[in-house]
Amino acid sequence: MSEVAGGPLLEARGVTVAFGGLVALSDVSLSVPPATIVGLMGPNGAGKTTLFGVMSGLLRPRTGTVSIDGHDVTRASPQARAKRGLARTFQRLELFGELTVREHLVVAHRARHRRLNLALDLLGLGARPGPGEDDRVDAVLSDLGLESVASRSAAALPLGTGRLVEVARAMASEPKVLLLDEPSSGLDTRETEQLGEALRRLHAGQGVSLLVVEHNVEFVLSLAQQVTVLDFGRVIAEGTPTEIRGNHAVQAAYLGVSA
Amino acid sequence: MWPYVIGGLVLAGVYSIATLGLILTYTSSRVFNFAHGAIAFFLAIFFHWLAVDHGWNPKLAGAFVVLVCAPLFGLFLWWALFRRLTHATSTIRLVSTIGLWVALPAIGRILFVGREEIFDRTGVGPTPAASWIRVAGTVIDSDEFLVLLVSVVVAVSMTVVLRYTPYGLQVRATVDSPRQAGISGINTNIVSAGSWMIGTTLAGAAGVLLAPLKGYQELNFTPLVLAMFAAAVIARFHSLVMGVVGCVLIGMTQSFIPSKWVRDDFLYRILPDQSQDVLISKLPDSVPFILLLIFLLCYRGLDRERFAVDTRAVASEAPPPTARDSDGWLRLRTPAILILIVLLAPVPLAGRWEAIIAKGLAVGIAFLSYTIVAGEGGMVSLCQVAFAGVGGAMTAQLATNDSWTWLPKVNGLLAIFLAALIVVPFGLLVALPSLRLGELYLAMATLAFAVLTQNLFFQSASINNFDGGVKVPRPEVFGIDFEGDTPFYYLLVVLFVLAAILVMNVKRSTTGLNLAATRSSEIATATLGISVVRNRLIAFGVSSFLAAFAGGLSVTYVGIALPAREFDALIGVVWLAIAVTWGVRSVAGALLAGLSFALFPQIFAEFEWFILVLFGLIMLGIRSNVRRVVVQRVALAAWAVFWLGAFLVWNGNLDEVPLIADSIREIPTTLFGLGAIGLAKEPRGIVYDVSHRSRARRAERAARRSADPPPGTTGSPGLDLTTPEAAQRAQDEREVMLP
Repeated sequence: MSEVAGGPLLEARGVTVAFGGLVALSDVSLSVPPATIVGLMGPNGAGKTTLFGVMSGLLRPRTGTVSIDGHDVTRASPQARAKRGLARTFQRLELFGELTVREHLVVAHRARHRRLNLALDLLGLGARPGPGEDDRVDAVLSDLGLESVASRSAAALPLGTGRLVEVARAMASEPKVLLLDEPSSGLDTRETEQLGEALRRLHAGQGVSLLVVEHNVEFVLSLAQQVTVLDFGRVIAEGTPTEIRGNHAVQAAYLGVSA
Repeated sequence: MWPYVIGGLVLAGVYSIATLGLILTYTSSRVFNFAHGAIAFFLAIFFHWLAVDHGWNPKLAGAFVVLVCAPLFGLFLWWALFRRLTHATSTIRLVSTIGLWVALPAIGRILFVGREEIFDRTGVGPTPAASWIRVAGTVIDSDEFLVLLVSVVVAVSMTVVLRYTPYGLQVRATVDSPRQAGISGINTNIVSAGSWMIGTTLAGAAGVLLAPLKGYQELNFTPLVLAMFAAAVIARFHSLVMGVVGCVLIGMTQSFIPSKWVRDDFLYRILPDQSQDVLISKLPDSVPFILLLIFLLCYRGLDRERFAVDTRAVASEAPPPTARDSDGWLRLRTPAILILIVLLAPVPLAGRWEAIIAKGLAVGIAFLSYTIVAGEGGMVSLCQVAFAGVGGAMTAQLATNDSWTWLPKVNGLLAIFLAALIVVPFGLLVALPSLRLGELYLAMATLAFAVLTQNLFFQSASINNFDGGVKVPRPEVFGIDFEGDTPFYYLLVVLFVLAAILVMNVKRSTTGLNLAATRSSEIATATLGISVVRNRLIAFGVSSFLAAFAGGLSVTYVGIALPAREFDALIGVVWLAIAVTWGVRSVAGALLAGLSFALFPQIFAEFEWFILVLFGLIMLGIRSNVRRVVVQRVALAAWAVFWLGAFLVWNGNLDEVPLIADSIREIPTTLFGLGAIGLAKEPRGIVYDVSHRSRARRAERAARRSADPPPGTTGSPGLDLTTPEAAQRAQDEREVMLP
């Protein structure tokens, strides 16, 4: 945490995205302070995943800026943002079908810690694990209860386990801020609890900020310290979980009752 | 002026007929049919067989072939192959139809051509063509008139059918969203089968119309193939109108090349004196791909178009888990045994066979380049052969300093190495489109590169030397003289092993992990901070180096660099088919691919029908033993070919054996093509298939011996019988083994 504690770690300001005539996000601002868990809620089609796309660099906003640690990254590539400490998971699993679970974490860990050296790789010297790599990878595996499937190919995993692998891979890249897109969907109650625990440990132990998109309202309200609610591409509420529980606009958006 | 215009329109007409079929089938099933031109050729020689060999009335034969056989053939192909491909991964979709492209002409020649090439030009109309009409002082003969008539009829009726009929509406709905169309009650299978029938009919029509104009040899159909690929890209694979526009553009340009305005006033001025005539004679074949590249550079957002959307759709149906096996030396056993055989081969097999195996080793290094670019990088490249050819040509120039005197003259082996280094920038250049384009566009761009290199570089005077090539001396290294065949043979073995180690190192390294990650999910790789661009460049760079190195070795072994003949772009297509048939994931696959590429044609030519019988028996043996689909399919095909051969032996008199020998020569190509088609079922090739099976058997045996519950704890996911899927797979294998 070299930056001044006051500035947000990840910030989107005035983001507007339109696909053809459809406005997916209009003038949305969201900030994730250091060492904070922020929840992002909203009904289907509210624009949550689009906002994630903008923040991680897969989508370019029509207007607005994104910054990490005070650096403007609106036009930066996903790789550049990852180098600044951003990691994310995907709602629709994006696993590496031909790698084992462990190798997922190794790829992520090396992406952060190892400079690629093609010459060494050609000579066969690039296969050895780097210092601390094994320990770190094993730690993440056990944190999420993935040891038993560590040497399995990711393509054969059930959905819930696959989602945990996505989270583990993101954690292994040692981010400062982690974007989780519907991490609990497809998980059973026990797995959801385990995931919640692992995320809290990650947050408490390493001071990682989390931005969590969720359908599971209980999960996000119990996990997050701040919550932002989107509906039809606009921010309709912001506040602590308690405030959000009592917010009429939010209830209206979720239940369809006019406020 | 007018003769050129009419000539151009006639070409454009043939191209359009074929291209419209190609685009229709692509849009309705998302399968790009590389074999479209091969189908045209196949049906054209079938027509010739009926009309000439069997004396049918040409008009009747033409109508029968185009209106009856072609749709049925299309239906058959759809049922047997294309239907399965719609839901395959995009790489397999590409490679399977490339297999058909390789196999179909060979099968056609076995069936319909016999000993002698066809030299007459019998067509549907009168032979020789009658002159029917004059336009502006230019005669349009009957064949040309037919082309113009049919192309107009086809274009108009396609437009009417697609715009104004219920079928057209269904096709358009299916094109836009197959799933939605299916949900709203359209039987997408019928729509897709229908388009394949129409597509094949159009291919047949183009073939039957083109042959009387150009001739019945396969090479006469190459311009059609190239033109319609280019037109399809210009049409972005979906716009019928742009497809026709592309065809007209290509046809007109080709037609005007020999004219006074283009040739005398323009080309003669800009081309170097020595080779201008050769280059101009090759220019018509280059035109489509020059236009293709121009359009590729101009179009924007091609990666986000249909094809890209499409790949995402099938991502969830990715191939079953690959066992990244960890059983130590066992993994090296197959390559080790192969290398041992290769090492000992010169002892009993001095002379010609040694030379052929040596050739196979050199080509094997080129096949290692597929292991990198296709196996690790997951990209379909059709230009490895061009890299090899450029490598060979540059080696010759560096080692002899013959015509490019500004180059330094260096020792043979160093020349090969330097030549390969020179090729790497070209490899990176070719990789550039891959950063922006979907896989199909990349395949097209690489094919374009191969064809253009072939036509414009390999044919130039200093490289081709009037079909004489450039002599390349054998090198001397560290005081060892590699002048003799056997020393050079061992040099090749050593170099192959070194190259193989290099490839295995890459696979095991961080780079290899990153490549595997990129192959599965680009966006996940990018969001981890790994550069997808860099990975692609590495894959293409390393693979172009290997291919060029192989090319250099090959020409040095032969002693003459004649890339125009040895590294033809279409040979590259066969290369790809062979590489994927054996499997692009393993070093052993590359070695077997190289050896079979060099050996099969020789074996078949040498031992004629005897080997056919032997081969048939072996294949029958394999067929009853194997349980995996790909080998079974190849074996089945080989078995069919065997019966065909036996029938030919029995049918023809034995003193007409040369006839059979001619057919036999087509068999290796047929097999490679069929092997590639078989990928639709087993995407990882024969080597994986066999080794995977033997591993499963070992595990099963071990399990039975110890009578212990599943060996799932060994750490290898491929053996893990604890997952329901693996258990099911093992169960399946046990069941098929029973008979």
